[in-house]
Order: sequence, then C-alpha cells, then structure tokens
Amino acid sequence: MLPQRMKKAIADNPKKVANLIDLVNLPSTVREFVGQSQISRLGCFMRVWSYIKSNNLQDPNNKNVVNCDEKLKRILLGKPQVELTELPALIKLHFPKEPK
Amino acid sequence: MGKFPPSFRSAISTSMAINPSSLATLNSPSIPPKPLHFPKKPAKVSRKTQNPNSPESLSVPPQLRSLFKSPHLSDAKKLFNSVVSASKLQLDIRLHNSLLQSYAAIATVQDSISLLNHMIKASPSFSPDRSTYHVLLSQSCKAPDTLLSHVHQVLNLMVNKGVTPNQATVDVAIRSLCSSGREDDVIELIRELSSKHSPPDGYTYNFVVKHLCKTRALATVYNFIYEMRDSLGMKPDLVTYTILIDNVCNTKNLREALRLVGILSEEGFKPDCFVYNTIMKGYCMLSRGSEVVGVYKRMKDEGVEPDLVTYNTLIFGLSKSGRVKDARKYLDIMEEAGHFPDAVTYTSLMNGMCREGDTIGALRLLEEMEAKGCSPNSCTYNTLLHGLCKSRLLEKGIELYQMMKSSDMKLETAAYATFVRSLCREGRVAEAYEVFDYAVESKSLTDVAAYTTLESTLKWSRKAREQGLAV
Repeated sequence: MLPQRMKKAIADNPKKVANLIDLVNLPSTVREFVGQSQISRLGCFMRVWSYIKSNNLQDPNNKNVVNCDEKLKRILLGKPQVELTELPALIKLHFPKEPK
Repeated sequence: MGKFPPSFRSAISTSMAINPSSLATLNSPSIPPKPLHFPKKPAKVSRKTQNPNSPESLSVPPQLRSLFKSPHLSDAKKLFNSVVSASKLQLDIRLHNSLLQSYAAIATVQDSISLLNHMIKASPSFSPDRSTYHVLLSQSCKAPDTLLSHVHQVLNLMVNKGVTPNQATVDVAIRSLCSSGREDDVIELIRELSSKHSPPDGYTYNFVVKHLCKTRALATVYNFIYEMRDSLGMKPDLVTYTILIDNVCNTKNLREALRLVGILSEEGFKPDCFVYNTIMKGYCMLSRGSEVVGVYKRMKDEGVEPDLVTYNTLIFGLSKSGRVKDARKYLDIMEEAGHFPDAVTYTSLMNGMCREGDTIGALRLLEEMEAKGCSPNSCTYNTLLHGLCKSRLLEKGIELYQMMKSSDMKLETAAYATFVRSLCREGRVAEAYEVFDYAVESKSLTDVAAYTTLESTLKWSRKAREQGLAV
C-alpha cells in the first residue's frame, strides 16, 4: 500500500503533473481513435474510459474486464480482453518518456 | 453591479430587505446598520473588529443595480436626467449615492467625478456628503493605477468641497486598497493621511495588520507595527496580538507565539477567551495534547469562561494526539457547561476514534449525534468513510458512500484514496472506477489528483497480485 505521504508527493510533483496534462503528439493509431492529433495522457485515459462506458464494453459477468471491440483493440496492443487494472498502464505505453 | 468591498456587503443585503418603494421616501440618510467585516472568518475576530464608524452604508435598490449599462459618460448623464424627470418625489441623497455607485462600478474614476458634477448641477437639492465622496474614493482605490494619483484626486476634491477626510474615510480607502491587493500603497497612504488629516482608528489598524499577516512576511508586519508605534503612538491592542498569535501559530512558529504571549502580559493585557483559543489551536497543530489541556486548565484558573470554540479545539487536539478517552470526557463536561456540541465537535471525536480503530464506536457516536438533533456534514461522512475503509469494513463504507452520493456530497482526498484502495484490494476495480467518475463529476478533486490516485493504486494492486499478496 502506498503511504499517504508518497501519494501526496506524486500529486504535488509538477513534473508528474505535467507528464499527465501536457499535450503530446500522437502516433497514428491513437490519433485515429481520439480523432485529434494531440492529447494529454489524462485526456486520453478519460476518452478511452468513457468510450468503454458508452459502448458497454465491460464484461457483464465480470465488470473488471473489458471486452475490446475492433477500435479499442487497435490501441490496446490488440488484446481481445483487458482488465481495468491494467488500463492506465496500457495507455501509458503510447506516451513514452521524453528523452532528456 | 460589479464588486463591492467586503465592508459594504452586509449593508447591501440589509438594504435588499427594505422595500424599494419605501426607500425613496426616506428623507435623510438614516444611521447605517453596522457592517460586519470578515464575514467568512469565525466570529472571534469579527466581533471585535467591527467598525462603528466604517463606511456609511450605501444602499442600492435592486432595480438600480443594472441601470447603468454603458460606461460612457453621455449615456449616464441621459439616464440620470431621465431618472430625475421620471420620479415625482424629491430624490434623496441616498438615491443619488446609489446611482453614483452603480455607475462607478463600470466607469472610470474621471467619468464618475464628471457624473457627480453633473448631478450637482442637474438637481439643486442634492449636495454631496461624505458618503458620496467615499463612493468615489473606494472606486479610485480599486482602479488599476500604480501611483496613488486617482486617490489623491478624489481626496483633493473632498477637501476642496469642505469635507475633511476622517477615520471613516481612511477606513474606506484602506479596505478598498487591501481588497485589490495593493499593500505597499496602503502603508504609504496611511503615512500620508495620518500626517495630513486623520490617523487610522484601531479597527482600520487591526484590519491592516490582519491583511498584512495574510499576504506578507512577518517582518513586514512588525515593521508596520513599529512604524505606527513610533510615528503615531499607536500601540497594538489585544486584538492585534490575537491576530499575530493566530498568524504565527498557523505557520507553526510556536516559539514566536510564546514570545508574543509573554509581551502580551508584559504590556498588561489580560488574555481573553480568543487569545487562549488561538494558543490552543497552535498546540493542536503540533499535536501536543498535554499542552492543550494545560491551556484549558490555565483558562479555568484565570477565570476565563471557555466557549464552544475552546471545547471544539480541545476535543480536536486531544483526538488528534490520540487521547480519545479524554476527548470524550470533555464532550460530557462541555454539555454540562451548557454548550451544544456541533458537527465539528462530533467529527473531531469520530476522527480520533477512527484513528484508534474504533470505527464501530464512531458509528455509534453518529447515531448519538443524530439523536441529539445535530446533523452531520460532509466532513463527518468523509471521516467515517475513511475510518470504515481503514478498519476493513468495506460493505459499510460502500453503504455510506451511496448515501453521500445520493446527497451530492463531495469526497475528500484522504477518504477518496482510502476508499479506492480498499475497493481495489477486494478486486472490485469496476467500482473503484465508478468512484473515480463520481469524484471527477462532483468536482471533489481535480482530475489530475483523482487520476493519479487511481493509477498508483492500480499499479500497486497489480504488483501485489503478482506477488500473491492480495486477492
């Protein structure tokens, strides 16, 4: 479990926050999905999550699992099923760390 | 109408209660209701810094508020003429002032002065009084202007018309300058006005000290105090010391606070309930329970009657430093002394109980509290949610969360984080996402904070699962 202090440090760290909200030029696969050429990591996550909700892609038997449709599959490593737990990590793959 | 200085706000709300039609028939400016300053601050300071001769109340009848739509002078003059010709009654001075004020809210200082001149010409029965000039003064203090030229212009106008600035004038100017964040100008204007016209009174002085405490370094505040003492012989009073002690306590500078308490008694002041409450709060911040009780005992010894705030602080401090049993005892003492514990009292106590792991006890206290007719607030529920999740009573926590959600209560950072973590630990990730959605939707947290928590929690739970720790 993350200690309270550490979590606060993440939220307060301007670099980490910038990493979340800075607009990033997108690779073509993601660009097709979100329909714009730039988006922040946070924005992308929100977009994917609301896409999942509005298209009822959560597995009715286990809400923690998402059954990907063709469109979603393309940006989530082609997996037919992803767990909600790994969603942020999968999206993060499209936002590589900036070289210093 | 745009912004009002805080000191005017209560005056406006009282004037709203007056029937607008009866307002025009009032023949002379009536004695203004005392405006209450610092409306948001706890009663302790506002009670003492209430200013008896602060700005004359300027009532703006609601229908005049949106009268002036254009900042152009010619439009304003036309409008004024039409108001004068449309009303059959003799317009009184308050109406003139209101008109001027509503125009001043959208126009430049120059144009407002011109409108005033036009008013004097157009209606011979109107002779501007002090409050008329105060309208202009307050406007000029808020005008974006790095030098004090507009302020000087209005002051000169006042003096030329035979109205010498008095303490109320100083108060209006200083408060307006403070509200637009021009602290350096405040000090300069005080110097100037004290040498030429009138020194500030104790209320204005304390207002400035309080404002400087909030916006500037402590050294600036002390410099101001020393300067006032040396040049005007104005000494800090008990309220000033309370403000200072409160300020240093908030920055956890307890040593300085104790020094100030020492000076306080050297100067021959007897600390009152507010001073004690402030000191107690300082100890609470550092979680020093025994000192908190010490302050309470000293109050008792000195014969100062503790009030609701004292008990709330005491219970909060004891709960915070892990002495819940004692805190509980003081809840009873408090009730015996005739105070009604409020949501703050109960929430502090529940917080302490939850920290000790006695969440069931905290829930029982919630029932007790509701039985006594005290309704819990969102802070109470957040405390309980946090506690329930910590002590692994997730089902009860979810129940509580549903209730909070149905009454649109906001989640606090700690409660949100703990709740999301508990849900993830139980493998209820979808529900955690739902809580995330609610936190974002209800604007409880910023999107970034809500997401960061969710992301790091998910990362942690995946790792834990890989190691076979969680479900």
